[in-house]
Amino acid sequence: MTSNPMIESYFAALTTQLSDLPQPKRDEVIRELRAHVFDRLEQIAVPTDDDCRTVLTAMGTPVEIARQYRVELLLNRSAWKISPWSLLRTLFRWTLTGIQGYVVLVLAMLGYTVGACLYITALLKPLFPRHIGLFVSEQGINLARFPDPPPGMEVLGAYYIPFAVLLGFLFTLGTTLAIRFVVRKFGRLKQKVTGLAASA
Amino acid sequence: MVALRNEPKSEPTEKWEAQLRKGCLELAILACLWEKRLYGLEILRGLEQNSNLVLAEGTVYPILARLKEDGLLQSEWVESDAGHPRKYYWLTASGRQRAVSMGHVWNSFAANLNSLLQPVLNGKGRS
Repeated sequence: MTSNPMIESYFAALTTQLSDLPQPKRDEVIRELRAHVFDRLEQIAVPTDDDCRTVLTAMGTPVEIARQYRVELLLNRSAWKISPWSLLRTLFRWTLTGIQGYVVLVLAMLGYTVGACLYITALLKPLFPRHIGLFVSEQGINLARFPDPPPGMEVLGAYYIPFAVLLGFLFTLGTTLAIRFVVRKFGRLKQKVTGLAASA
Repeated sequence: MVALRNEPKSEPTEKWEAQLRKGCLELAILACLWEKRLYGLEILRGLEQNSNLVLAEGTVYPILARLKEDGLLQSEWVESDAGHPRKYYWLTASGRQRAVSMGHVWNSFAANLNSLLQPVLNGKGRS
Protein backbone atom coordinates (compact mmCIF):
# COMPACT_ATOMS: atom_id res chain seq x y z
CA MET A 1 0.00 0.00 0.00
CA THR A 2 1.56 3.27 -1.06
CA SER A 3 1.35 6.40 0.95
CA ASN A 4 2.00 9.94 -0.09
CA PRO A 5 2.06 13.27 1.80
CA MET A 6 -0.54 14.65 -0.58
CA ILE A 7 -2.93 11.80 0.20
CA GLU A 8 -2.27 12.08 3.92
CA SER A 9 -3.02 15.80 3.96
CA TYR A 10 -6.16 15.19 1.91
CA PHE A 11 -7.49 12.74 4.47
CA ALA A 12 -6.39 14.93 7.36
CA ALA A 13 -8.46 17.74 5.84
CA LEU A 14 -11.39 15.40 5.29
CA THR A 15 -11.24 14.20 8.90
CA THR A 16 -11.39 17.81 10.09
CA GLN A 17 -14.26 18.60 7.76
CA LEU A 18 -16.22 15.57 8.97
CA SER A 19 -15.73 16.43 12.64
CA ASP A 20 -19.47 16.71 13.25
CA LEU A 21 -20.08 13.09 12.28
CA PRO A 22 -19.94 10.60 15.16
CA GLN A 23 -16.45 9.10 15.44
CA PRO A 24 -17.22 5.50 14.31
CA LYS A 25 -19.06 6.75 11.26
CA ARG A 26 -16.25 9.16 10.43
CA ASP A 27 -13.61 6.43 10.72
CA GLU A 28 -15.62 4.23 8.41
CA VAL A 29 -15.98 6.98 5.81
CA ILE A 30 -12.23 7.68 5.86
CA ARG A 31 -11.46 3.98 5.58
CA GLU A 32 -13.78 3.56 2.63
CA LEU A 33 -12.46 6.57 0.73
CA ARG A 34 -8.88 5.51 1.42
CA ALA A 35 -9.64 2.11 -0.07
CA HIS A 36 -11.00 3.93 -3.12
CA VAL A 37 -7.84 6.01 -3.53
CA PHE A 38 -5.57 2.99 -3.11
CA ASP A 39 -7.60 1.00 -5.61
CA ARG A 40 -7.33 3.83 -8.11
CA LEU A 41 -3.56 4.00 -7.63
CA GLU A 42 -3.19 0.22 -7.69
CA GLN A 43 -3.10 0.14 -11.47
CA ILE A 44 0.02 2.34 -11.49
CA ALA A 45 3.27 0.69 -10.48
CA VAL A 46 4.95 3.73 -8.92
CA PRO A 47 2.42 6.52 -8.46
CA THR A 48 3.85 10.00 -8.85
CA ASP A 49 2.52 13.16 -7.22
CA ASP A 50 0.68 13.89 -10.44
CA ASP A 51 -1.08 10.54 -10.32
CA CYS A 52 -2.15 11.19 -6.73
CA ARG A 53 -3.36 14.64 -7.65
CA THR A 54 -5.43 13.26 -10.53
CA VAL A 55 -7.07 10.66 -8.29
CA LEU A 56 -7.81 13.15 -5.52
CA THR A 57 -9.15 15.75 -7.94
CA ALA A 58 -11.50 13.19 -9.46
CA MET A 59 -12.71 12.44 -5.96
CA GLY A 60 -13.71 16.04 -5.16
CA THR A 61 -12.51 18.41 -2.46
CA PRO A 62 -12.75 17.42 1.24
CA VAL A 63 -15.08 20.39 1.80
CA GLU A 64 -17.44 19.22 -0.91
CA ILE A 65 -17.45 15.57 0.18
CA ALA A 66 -18.01 16.51 3.83
CA ARG A 67 -20.85 18.81 2.80
CA GLN A 68 -22.53 15.97 0.95
CA TYR A 69 -22.22 13.58 3.86
CA ARG A 70 -23.76 16.23 6.05
CA VAL A 71 -26.60 16.81 3.61
CA GLU A 72 -27.28 13.09 3.16
CA LEU A 73 -26.86 11.94 6.74
CA LEU A 74 -27.53 14.69 9.22
CA LEU A 75 -29.60 17.64 8.25
CA ASN A 76 -32.01 15.58 6.14
CA ARG A 77 -32.67 13.34 9.06
CA SER A 78 -32.89 15.86 11.84
CA ALA A 79 -35.39 17.82 9.80
CA TRP A 80 -37.77 14.91 10.30
CA LYS A 81 -36.56 13.37 13.51
CA ILE A 82 -38.18 14.30 16.76
CA SER A 83 -35.24 13.53 19.06
CA PRO A 84 -34.29 16.73 20.92
CA TRP A 85 -30.69 15.56 20.98
CA SER A 86 -30.24 15.35 17.21
CA LEU A 87 -32.13 18.61 16.72
CA LEU A 88 -29.87 20.40 19.20
CA ARG A 89 -26.81 18.98 17.44
CA THR A 90 -27.99 20.33 14.13
CA LEU A 91 -28.68 23.69 15.73
CA PHE A 92 -25.28 23.67 17.35
CA ARG A 93 -23.66 23.39 13.94
CA TRP A 94 -25.77 26.28 12.76
CA THR A 95 -24.46 28.53 15.46
CA LEU A 96 -21.10 28.32 13.72
CA THR A 97 -22.58 29.85 10.60
CA GLY A 98 -24.19 32.95 12.03
CA ILE A 99 -26.09 34.87 14.65
CA GLN A 100 -29.55 33.56 13.64
CA GLY A 101 -28.45 30.02 14.42
CA TYR A 102 -27.23 31.18 17.80
CA VAL A 103 -30.53 32.86 18.65
CA VAL A 104 -32.50 29.77 17.64
CA LEU A 105 -30.20 27.57 19.74
CA VAL A 106 -30.65 29.75 22.83
CA LEU A 107 -34.44 29.76 22.42
CA ALA A 108 -34.44 25.99 21.92
CA MET A 109 -32.35 25.41 25.04
CA LEU A 110 -34.70 27.69 26.96
CA GLY A 111 -37.75 25.75 25.76
CA TYR A 112 -36.22 22.39 26.69
CA THR A 113 -34.98 23.71 30.04
CA VAL A 114 -38.46 24.92 31.01
CA GLY A 115 -39.88 21.56 29.96
CA ALA A 116 -37.25 19.69 31.99
CA CYS A 117 -37.86 21.88 35.08
CA LEU A 118 -41.58 21.13 34.92
CA TYR A 119 -40.88 17.38 34.82
CA ILE A 120 -38.55 17.74 37.80
CA THR A 121 -41.16 19.60 39.87
CA ALA A 122 -43.66 16.83 39.09
CA LEU A 123 -41.15 14.25 40.33
CA LEU A 124 -40.39 16.20 43.50
CA LYS A 125 -43.98 17.10 44.36
CA PRO A 126 -44.58 13.96 46.53
CA LEU A 127 -41.41 14.74 48.50
CA PHE A 128 -42.08 18.47 49.03
CA PRO A 129 -45.88 18.83 48.89
CA ARG A 130 -45.78 22.19 50.68
CA HIS A 131 -43.04 23.68 48.50
CA ILE A 132 -44.15 22.63 45.05
CA GLY A 133 -47.52 23.23 43.44
CA LEU A 134 -49.54 25.90 41.70
CA PHE A 135 -49.51 28.75 44.20
CA VAL A 136 -51.74 31.72 43.42
CA SER A 137 -51.30 34.95 45.34
CA GLU A 138 -51.65 38.67 44.77
CA GLN A 139 -48.05 38.81 43.55
CA GLY A 140 -48.77 36.29 40.81
CA ILE A 141 -48.27 32.60 40.19
CA ASN A 142 -45.51 30.48 41.74
CA LEU A 143 -44.60 26.88 41.09
CA ALA A 144 -41.91 26.21 43.66
CA ARG A 145 -39.73 27.93 46.20
CA PHE A 146 -37.10 26.86 48.71
CA PRO A 147 -36.48 26.92 51.62
CA ASP A 148 -39.73 28.78 52.47
CA PRO A 149 -42.89 27.67 50.64
CA PRO A 150 -44.19 30.17 48.05
CA PRO A 151 -46.83 32.69 49.14
CA GLY A 152 -50.52 32.19 48.38
CA MET A 153 -52.85 29.21 48.13
CA GLU A 154 -51.87 25.96 46.50
CA VAL A 155 -54.79 25.23 44.21
CA LEU A 156 -54.08 21.87 42.57
CA GLY A 157 -52.94 19.48 45.31
CA ALA A 158 -52.03 16.05 43.93
CA TYR A 159 -53.37 17.13 40.52
CA TYR A 160 -50.23 19.23 40.23
CA ILE A 161 -48.33 16.13 39.02
CA PRO A 162 -50.36 15.43 35.86
CA PHE A 163 -50.61 19.19 35.31
CA ALA A 164 -46.82 19.67 35.40
CA VAL A 165 -46.18 16.60 33.25
CA LEU A 166 -48.64 17.79 30.63
CA LEU A 167 -47.27 21.33 30.64
CA GLY A 168 -43.69 20.01 30.44
CA PHE A 169 -44.66 17.79 27.54
CA LEU A 170 -46.30 20.70 25.73
CA PHE A 171 -43.14 22.78 26.16
CA THR A 172 -40.90 19.98 24.86
CA LEU A 173 -43.19 19.21 21.95
CA GLY A 174 -43.68 22.88 21.08
CA THR A 175 -39.94 23.53 21.09
CA THR A 176 -39.25 20.43 18.98
CA LEU A 177 -41.89 21.31 16.40
CA ALA A 178 -40.63 24.89 16.25
CA ILE A 179 -37.03 23.76 15.64
CA ARG A 180 -38.10 21.24 13.04
CA PHE A 181 -40.02 23.95 11.28
CA VAL A 182 -37.07 26.34 11.35
CA VAL A 183 -34.58 23.68 10.24
CA ARG A 184 -36.77 22.57 7.37
CA LYS A 185 -37.64 26.08 6.31
CA PHE A 186 -34.22 27.66 6.53
CA GLY A 187 -31.80 24.74 6.81
CA ARG A 188 -31.75 23.98 3.12
CA LEU A 189 -31.47 27.62 2.24
CA LYS A 190 -28.48 27.97 4.51
CA GLN A 191 -26.90 24.89 2.98
CA LYS A 192 -27.34 26.28 -0.48
CA VAL A 193 -25.65 29.49 0.54
CA THR A 194 -22.69 27.78 2.20
CA GLY A 195 -22.54 25.32 -0.69
CA LEU A 196 -22.22 28.14 -3.18
CA ALA A 197 -19.62 29.83 -1.05
CA ALA A 198 -17.63 26.59 -0.94
CA SER A 199 -17.76 26.03 -4.68
CA ALA A 200 -16.97 29.65 -5.53
CA MET B 1 -35.27 28.85 -33.37
CA VAL B 2 -33.29 26.55 -35.65
CA ALA B 3 -30.10 28.50 -35.07
CA LEU B 4 -30.36 27.86 -31.35
CA ARG B 5 -29.97 24.15 -31.79
CA ASN B 6 -26.24 24.08 -32.37
CA GLU B 7 -25.33 26.61 -29.75
CA PRO B 8 -23.01 25.41 -26.99
CA LYS B 9 -24.70 24.59 -23.71
CA SER B 10 -25.56 27.72 -21.81
CA GLU B 11 -24.94 28.03 -18.11
CA PRO B 12 -28.58 27.42 -17.04
CA THR B 13 -28.63 24.28 -19.20
CA GLU B 14 -25.51 22.99 -17.48
CA LYS B 15 -26.98 23.68 -14.08
CA TRP B 16 -30.17 21.87 -14.99
CA GLU B 17 -28.17 18.94 -16.34
CA ALA B 18 -26.19 18.69 -13.10
CA GLN B 19 -29.41 18.59 -11.08
CA LEU B 20 -30.87 15.99 -13.39
CA ARG B 21 -27.81 13.77 -13.01
CA LYS B 22 -27.90 14.16 -9.28
CA GLY B 23 -31.55 13.19 -9.14
CA CYS B 24 -30.97 10.05 -11.19
CA LEU B 25 -27.88 8.89 -9.34
CA GLU B 26 -29.82 7.08 -6.65
CA LEU B 27 -31.76 5.00 -9.16
CA ALA B 28 -28.59 4.28 -11.16
CA ILE B 29 -26.78 3.04 -8.04
CA LEU B 30 -29.66 0.74 -7.12
CA ALA B 31 -29.68 -0.57 -10.71
CA CYS B 32 -25.91 -1.24 -10.61
CA LEU B 33 -26.38 -3.43 -7.56
CA TRP B 34 -29.24 -5.44 -9.05
CA GLU B 35 -27.07 -8.36 -10.24
CA LYS B 36 -24.50 -8.70 -7.48
CA ARG B 37 -22.75 -7.10 -4.55
CA LEU B 38 -20.16 -4.47 -5.45
CA TYR B 39 -17.78 -2.10 -3.71
CA GLY B 40 -17.74 1.65 -4.26
CA LEU B 41 -15.24 1.76 -7.10
CA GLU B 42 -17.01 -1.03 -8.99
CA ILE B 43 -20.26 0.87 -8.70
CA LEU B 44 -18.49 3.94 -10.06
CA ARG B 45 -17.12 1.94 -12.99
CA GLY B 46 -20.60 0.63 -13.71
CA LEU B 47 -21.94 4.17 -13.71
CA GLU B 48 -19.13 5.41 -15.96
CA GLN B 49 -19.70 2.65 -18.49
CA ASN B 50 -23.42 3.00 -18.83
CA SER B 51 -23.99 6.68 -18.31
CA ASN B 52 -22.09 9.80 -17.48
CA LEU B 53 -23.93 10.43 -14.28
CA VAL B 54 -21.03 11.06 -11.96
CA LEU B 55 -19.43 14.47 -11.67
CA ALA B 56 -17.08 13.97 -8.73
CA GLU B 57 -16.34 10.38 -7.72
CA GLY B 58 -16.66 11.22 -4.04
CA THR B 59 -20.36 12.01 -4.45
CA VAL B 60 -21.26 8.33 -4.72
CA TYR B 61 -20.13 7.49 -1.19
CA PRO B 62 -22.41 9.87 0.76
CA ILE B 63 -25.36 8.57 -1.26
CA LEU B 64 -24.38 4.96 -0.51
CA ALA B 65 -24.21 5.88 3.17
CA ARG B 66 -27.71 7.35 3.09
CA LEU B 67 -29.20 4.44 1.13
CA LYS B 68 -27.78 2.20 3.81
CA GLU B 69 -29.27 4.34 6.59
CA ASP B 70 -32.60 4.12 4.80
CA GLY B 71 -32.38 0.33 4.86
CA LEU B 72 -32.18 -0.07 1.07
CA LEU B 73 -28.60 -1.36 1.13
CA GLN B 74 -26.57 -3.55 3.39
CA SER B 75 -22.77 -3.49 3.56
CA GLU B 76 -19.83 -5.54 4.72
CA TRP B 77 -16.05 -5.17 4.76
CA VAL B 78 -14.32 -7.92 2.80
CA GLU B 79 -10.57 -8.60 2.65
CA SER B 80 -9.13 -8.38 -0.84
CA ASP B 81 -5.96 -9.39 -2.68
CA ALA B 82 -5.06 -5.72 -2.91
CA GLY B 83 -3.97 -5.76 0.72
CA HIS B 84 -6.80 -3.68 2.13
CA PRO B 85 -10.44 -4.52 2.79
CA ARG B 86 -13.22 -3.13 0.61
CA LYS B 87 -16.70 -2.23 1.63
CA TYR B 88 -19.21 -4.23 -0.40
CA TYR B 89 -22.83 -3.20 -0.80
CA TRP B 90 -25.89 -5.19 -1.78
CA LEU B 91 -29.61 -4.56 -2.09
CA THR B 92 -31.95 -5.46 0.75
CA ALA B 93 -35.48 -6.66 0.01
CA SER B 94 -36.82 -3.13 0.36
CA GLY B 95 -33.95 -1.88 -1.81
CA ARG B 96 -35.09 -4.26 -4.56
CA GLN B 97 -38.65 -3.05 -4.19
CA ARG B 98 -37.51 0.56 -4.36
CA ALA B 99 -35.44 -0.10 -7.49
CA VAL B 100 -38.45 -1.65 -9.24
CA SER B 101 -40.86 1.11 -8.29
CA MET B 102 -38.37 3.86 -9.19
CA GLY B 103 -37.68 2.08 -12.48
CA HIS B 104 -41.39 2.10 -13.33
CA VAL B 105 -41.68 5.78 -12.49
CA TRP B 106 -38.64 6.53 -14.63
CA ASN B 107 -39.96 4.56 -17.60
CA SER B 108 -43.35 6.21 -17.77
CA PHE B 109 -41.81 9.60 -17.07
CA ALA B 110 -39.23 9.22 -19.83
CA ALA B 111 -41.84 7.93 -22.30
CA ASN B 112 -44.15 10.88 -21.66
CA LEU B 113 -41.36 13.40 -21.91
CA ASN B 114 -40.03 11.82 -25.10
CA SER B 115 -43.37 12.10 -26.83
CA LEU B 116 -43.62 15.72 -25.71
CA LEU B 117 -40.16 16.39 -27.07
CA GLN B 118 -40.71 14.81 -30.48
CA PRO B 119 -41.82 18.02 -32.23
CA VAL B 120 -39.11 20.02 -30.44
CA LEU B 121 -36.27 17.80 -31.53
CA ASN B 122 -37.56 17.20 -35.07
CA GLY B 123 -37.28 20.89 -35.66
CA LYS B 124 -40.56 20.96 -37.55
CA GLY B 125 -43.48 23.30 -37.03
CA ARG B 126 -42.97 26.88 -35.92
CA SER B 127 -39.60 28.31 -36.81
